[in-house]
Amino acid sequence: MRAGAGYAATDAMEHAVSLHHPAAASTQTGVPNGKLGMWVFLASEVMFFTGLIGAYVVLRMSHPAWPGSEGHLNVWIGACNTLVLICSSTTIVLALAASERRDLSAVRTWLLLTAALGSVFLVVKGFEYAAKFSHHIVPSTNVFWSCYFALTAFHALHVLGGIVFNLVVLAYTGRPAWWASRGRRLELAGLYWHFVDIVWIFLFPMLYLF
Amino acid sequence: MTSASHASVRLSLTIWAWLAGLVLLGVILSELAILPLPHSGVIAVVAGLSTVKAGLVALYYMHLKGDRRLLVFVALVPFLLIALALSVVFSSAFVRL
Repeated sequence: MRAGAGYAATDAMEHAVSLHHPAAASTQTGVPNGKLGMWVFLASEVMFFTGLIGAYVVLRMSHPAWPGSEGHLNVWIGACNTLVLICSSTTIVLALAASERRDLSAVRTWLLLTAALGSVFLVVKGFEYAAKFSHHIVPSTNVFWSCYFALTAFHALHVLGGIVFNLVVLAYTGRPAWWASRGRRLELAGLYWHFVDIVWIFLFPMLYLF
Repeated sequence: MTSASHASVRLSLTIWAWLAGLVLLGVILSELAILPLPHSGVIAVVAGLSTVKAGLVALYYMHLKGDRRLLVFVALVPFLLIALALSVVFSSAFVRL
């Protein structure tokens, strides 16, 4: 079996692969271009979510009875999902730490766990959506639910993007050539994932607690 | 595992414990109404807790604490723009042309 042989070769290679990150390119800024680009991208994402959150806050302040009699979210489900994302942020930090001590097996385990926790978050969010739809609560129900679905759907899309990013990095971790030339992408995946976590840290209290 | 790596992992787990604790604290303060504050005061406290959590993630998990100052500036630029936008919004609320 070709695929099986591939896995066996990869496993055998695990302890031999040197997870050396590419040396920081001598850029004028002293920061690798990829990392600087990721930070600029995240800054633009901050502006994107600030626009959405700002609209929510303005609408919230202009509606004294908020979210209305039909608006109810389960705080403990939201809190558990927040803890899931926080755990996933920690696991990707542990993946990066494992790459620094050249432990490929641990890198893969932590990356896989990060993607799994992100998936758990999306599944729980899917159940929440399904429960609302079964009660005929849709984005057009009222302004609160419009905001709720818009904010959480955009965030969920970002979580999905982060999971894909993590899985792509995971898929390449067995290739020594990848570590030599693009090993820093693990750090970039981590930066993006933490950003997704930070956005939810603000969305959770806004939507579930206030 | 080297001592530096061990310390790094221990710091990550400590930050995780703080984040999880602050999430639970925010939920308890909001749901159990144990603070002798009006609703707006509770909102301010919970929003402050969220800011602390975001700060912990940015400083320790995203390594802004020990990273190049340029990245800190890049991270702060959107917040400066937000402050500018807010000042425009609130000034237009008070100034009627």
